[in-house]
Amino acid sequence: MKFSSILKRTVLMAGVLAAGLVSAQDLKLGYNGDLSASPSAQSGHAAVLGMQAAVDDINAAGGVLGRKFTIVTRDDQSQPPKSIQNMSDLIDNEKVIAVFGPTNSGNAMAWKHIPNQKKIPVIGNVGSGTAITHPMSPGADNYMFRVSMVDRDQIGALMAYVKKNPAAKVVGLMAETTGYGAGGLKDMQEIAELQGIKIVATERFAVSDTDMTSQLNKLKAANVDTVVVWAQGTPIAQLVRSMEKINYFPVTLTSWAADNITFYDAAGKALANKPIFMRTVSETRTPVQQKLYDRIGSKLKAPSSFSFALHGYDSVQLLAAALKQANSADGTAIKNALEDLRSPVAGVLKTYNKPFSKTQHEALTAGDFVWIKWNDGKLEPYSDPIIKGLVAGDYKY
Amino acid sequence: MSGLRHLGASVAFTVAAGAGAAALSNDYYLRIAFMMCIYYLCGAGMNVLVGYAGQKSLGQAGLFAAGAYGVALLTIRTSMDPWLALVLAAVISGACGVVIALPSLRVKGPYLAMVTLAFGIVVEKVVSEWTDVFGGASGLFGIRSMTWGGVPLTMLQWVWLALAISLLTHLLIRNLVSGRIGRALLSLQADEIASASVGVRVYRAKVMAFVVAAVTCGIAGALVAQQNQYINSDFITFHLSIFILLMVLFGGVGNIYGPIVGAVLLTVIDSALSSWPAVQHFAYGALLLFALFVMPGGVMGVITPWLARRTKRIAEPAPCSDIALRFSDDSTGELLSVQGISKSYGGVKPAQDVSFRLQRGQVYALIGPNGAGKTTMINMLTGLVRPDSGQITFAGRDAVGMPPHTICSLGMGRTFQNLRLFGELSVLDNVMLGRHSRMRGGFLSSLLALPLARREEALARSRSMDLLGLVDLAHLAHAPAGSLSYGLQRRVELARALATDPQLLLLDEPAAGLNPQETSELGDLLLRISRMGLTILMVEHHMDLVMRISDRVMVLDYGVKIAEGSPAQVQANPRVIEAYLGSDAALPSVETIAA
Amino acid sequence: MSNTMEVALFQALLSGLAVGSAYALVALGFSVTFTTTKTLNFSHGEFVSAGAFIGMSVLLLAVGKPLTSTSFGSVQPGAMVQLIALLVTLALMGAIGWLLFVLGVRPFARRPGMAWVMSTLGFGVILQSIGLAIWGPKPVVVPGPLGDDVIRLAGIGVRPQELLMLGVAVVVMLVFDHVMRRTMVGKAMRAVAHNPGVASLMGINVSMMMVGAFVVSSALAGLSGFMLAPIAQASLFMGLAVGLKGFSAAMIGGLNNARGCVIGGFLLGVLESFVNLWSAQWREVAVFVLVILVLAFRPNGLFGSHTVEKV
Repeated sequence: MKFSSILKRTVLMAGVLAAGLVSAQDLKLGYNGDLSASPSAQSGHAAVLGMQAAVDDINAAGGVLGRKFTIVTRDDQSQPPKSIQNMSDLIDNEKVIAVFGPTNSGNAMAWKHIPNQKKIPVIGNVGSGTAITHPMSPGADNYMFRVSMVDRDQIGALMAYVKKNPAAKVVGLMAETTGYGAGGLKDMQEIAELQGIKIVATERFAVSDTDMTSQLNKLKAANVDTVVVWAQGTPIAQLVRSMEKINYFPVTLTSWAADNITFYDAAGKALANKPIFMRTVSETRTPVQQKLYDRIGSKLKAPSSFSFALHGYDSVQLLAAALKQANSADGTAIKNALEDLRSPVAGVLKTYNKPFSKTQHEALTAGDFVWIKWNDGKLEPYSDPIIKGLVAGDYKY
Repeated sequence: MSGLRHLGASVAFTVAAGAGAAALSNDYYLRIAFMMCIYYLCGAGMNVLVGYAGQKSLGQAGLFAAGAYGVALLTIRTSMDPWLALVLAAVISGACGVVIALPSLRVKGPYLAMVTLAFGIVVEKVVSEWTDVFGGASGLFGIRSMTWGGVPLTMLQWVWLALAISLLTHLLIRNLVSGRIGRALLSLQADEIASASVGVRVYRAKVMAFVVAAVTCGIAGALVAQQNQYINSDFITFHLSIFILLMVLFGGVGNIYGPIVGAVLLTVIDSALSSWPAVQHFAYGALLLFALFVMPGGVMGVITPWLARRTKRIAEPAPCSDIALRFSDDSTGELLSVQGISKSYGGVKPAQDVSFRLQRGQVYALIGPNGAGKTTMINMLTGLVRPDSGQITFAGRDAVGMPPHTICSLGMGRTFQNLRLFGELSVLDNVMLGRHSRMRGGFLSSLLALPLARREEALARSRSMDLLGLVDLAHLAHAPAGSLSYGLQRRVELARALATDPQLLLLDEPAAGLNPQETSELGDLLLRISRMGLTILMVEHHMDLVMRISDRVMVLDYGVKIAEGSPAQVQANPRVIEAYLGSDAALPSVETIAA
Repeated sequence: MSNTMEVALFQALLSGLAVGSAYALVALGFSVTFTTTKTLNFSHGEFVSAGAFIGMSVLLLAVGKPLTSTSFGSVQPGAMVQLIALLVTLALMGAIGWLLFVLGVRPFARRPGMAWVMSTLGFGVILQSIGLAIWGPKPVVVPGPLGDDVIRLAGIGVRPQELLMLGVAVVVMLVFDHVMRRTMVGKAMRAVAHNPGVASLMGINVSMMMVGAFVVSSALAGLSGFMLAPIAQASLFMGLAVGLKGFSAAMIGGLNNARGCVIGGFLLGVLESFVNLWSAQWREVAVFVLVILVLAFRPNGLFGSHTVEKV
């Protein structure tokens, strides 16, 4: 062969290799959630900000396996068909190595068979529906992980409080008619049974209702003194406003959605401190959390959505750790590494010591949650004798 | 395009699409191709319902749900074969289509839109609330999908399956709408009353359209459920109903290729913009508003005229002489007997105990001052209005209470005082609609384009051309009926009524708006028709025509029959003169008018 | 026990009337355009949301906050300011209604088919997109002119804004009823719906009437949104639910009868409230089954009139 043709071929090959290397340089992380279409969009938006901050930090330190991260987002506008399409887009088209999200628990249920089939790990950092991290069938390989609130764990804690409270003699449940409410109601009923709590009345309302006095009057007629509510922020606000209308204030425990600023604004200062609920973090921040807040706080659509930025940050850190341990970008290898993280991972919420296992895919459980009440516009940690008296054995799931 | 050519082209297109799909590099694109077929299926059926039958329906999501949940429950609760479950799901959706069509019997327009919308919402709520059966927002898992060689279908195989079903749907629907049924549906959209009067079973046709839309949407829903192996109530939204409608309108409503174009374009636009949802949301609204503005006929509405200029018009068979036209061989005997018919609308009584008999082969005229009740009488005879009391016996049958299409089948044809043509359809199509009740072969033979249906169509075509020849309009067979002058439109309506093979022809002011020359020609034509064995009853104000061609004349005044007899007798009757002129003045004679 | 039940029933009645007044105003909006042009604004819901946001923005500007603020904090705009905000809302919404008619309805109105349904829907989507771009999806709490403290009458609680909305709905109904039945304008509107050609020949300015119908209907939507905002929070998605219910109310009452629409609205609100007392889960199904039943037996609504067509 002539020298010039060999040279041409070599240059060509080198060029191809180089091009391959350059594009293979970036590790793509996908985000599939609601970024614009509903009030939960602010949570998704915050999560992405947190993820981006973690990506910036990791890339500044040289990336992982010599490569840098980039985030590819897809907005599913809370619609399942769109969410499914986005999943396929991210996995098949963009070839991401992992997906984060969703904001909407129902959407995860719709597409969770896809990452399980294609063997791509998913780390949720917003949606809290219990069933999201369940395997497709008992014992099967499970690619769904989560760093966020978990409905079942929250409810477990709330029910433990109810059981332990001597003043809680007649208990009622309320839930909104969406998937979120329905899922929560199911968990509430199951855990109440485990705890031996008798539920005297169950009422429902729609997410756009402005008046729940009929339902509350039914509870009042049954002498309910404690009610556990599973709904989003705005309807919880309308609920406490309706309570004010008929002057009926049972002890009210709610879902974490009460941390949304829409709840506070709608309920008003006086009524906002009625519900007791849980979050992963209060507004009393650690120095590390404060530093992150100083970085991205101004970009948040609502200050109270900062907790999702923390989830976002930590979820990326956990992925990076698994990636390093697996020493490969293969989905199955990452999943196995996640289930068996050998060294602790320092996150902004906490330091994670072997957070996942084959059967445990939740990084945050009841023990990590904080009891919260609104106080003068701030989400403050809440404590009372009942909470102080709760021990591990009181929680039943 | 001729039938065979169209079949060949469609199959070739589908095979090419299948090959193209095989060349796609990843599952994401395959998924988009799959969704294109799904949306096409929804749109094809909707096109028949909205574009052909003109029924405003906003509840497609409910029909999609019927198919999806049908197949889900069948494959989860039973061990039925998934292919069979798909077929059964289509049947279930069809049944729902019948249910959703029920209100269309009584309500129209925005009210129908509302009822169908309410149906869609009720279904949406039921599947999300009745969680024991439908799983609510958590949904139903483990829907079994079809398998090939023991393995569930791959994405590529799903695309091929969807393509095959789409091809089949396209061919079947094309058969349906290019023949008798399609014409009947279009006539529904144009004028329901005229449609019933030429023998179309209006309600049944509407149900047919709803069922077609339901079956295609149901199949689409079932395919989505089986492909995802999961369905939940979030899939069933008003948004879906609107998207399907948008696709049909954007592609070109009432055009057989519209849904294909709409499905492909909208799915592509949707995926292309998926990275920028804000733009996508806006584009969606813009499409709804401005595309309609700029392209009211949709994309096909822009392409079709351009194509039409380049295709040759098929020649119609030449009309034959009228020796071949014969309406009846019975030339004697009683045809219609009306006894004691009464009708009142509050204080107005268009009919007070009216009785008369019509003998075969004669020409009758019904005259009287305005408001005498003449048109009401015709409406009662043809079944559009129900008399309060009395009897009508037509061809030996009791006709009171019969629906208009049955009376038409018995042999009564009519024209309308205020012209009720199907304006957007061609002259030939209008007349062929008259043949609707005389053509054999129903829904299935139309759908499958069986030889019977094709033969009947050819026969109807030639008969209609003969009739157009009779009224001297054969050269305008393909012009839109609404584009003709008033006098010519009247002739089209006459041809249409003749096409129903009537024994008795009821004409409501056939000479209205005609000049003396045209009136005279009409008289000649009516005499000719009468000699072909047809009995004629005409309501008329043109006394010259009445006196010249009628054998017997009846006079109504404020709902009371005040005279009956030969034209000369009635002309001289003092009560008649008083009713018309209110004084002793004599009725002008024929000679005076002709001068 | 029965006394509690009595109180609960009265509470349900009052709450139902309050919710129903929102439906009534929306239903009336639908009726106005239908009576004159035989078309409907299928995005009436988005117009309600727009009205709420325009009113809110004017109030925000008046108290010195930026348009896109998400909260009023503890600022309470005075009655005069509220009135000005209302007037501005009515005017702007009327203008948007004019725009809708010219762009989305007039080109398609008399044609068969569903073109105007889709074009009004499209207009609404565009309106919502613009709204989302300016204000975002988050609901905003808006203070009402009469404050927010619960008023108690005989054991029943009601908020001042709810009573205000109820009063406004009744007054508006009386005004429209009078106009539609007793004045020339009302007759002219109905004439235009029947036969615009003949109406024009009779000297009625058909174009003006149709534009007027859309302007008034959109202004009504704006009023509905403005009144509803202190109760339900101003949100770009608030219009959807209330629009659909309002439409159902119009169907039940009779689209071409102003009085019927409003009564339909109150009826629907009270029905919902009472179904809540029984089993809130099935409320939506109950409402729409009612619609289907009414239309099955009285296709033109409970109070609507059937136009007899001469064949």
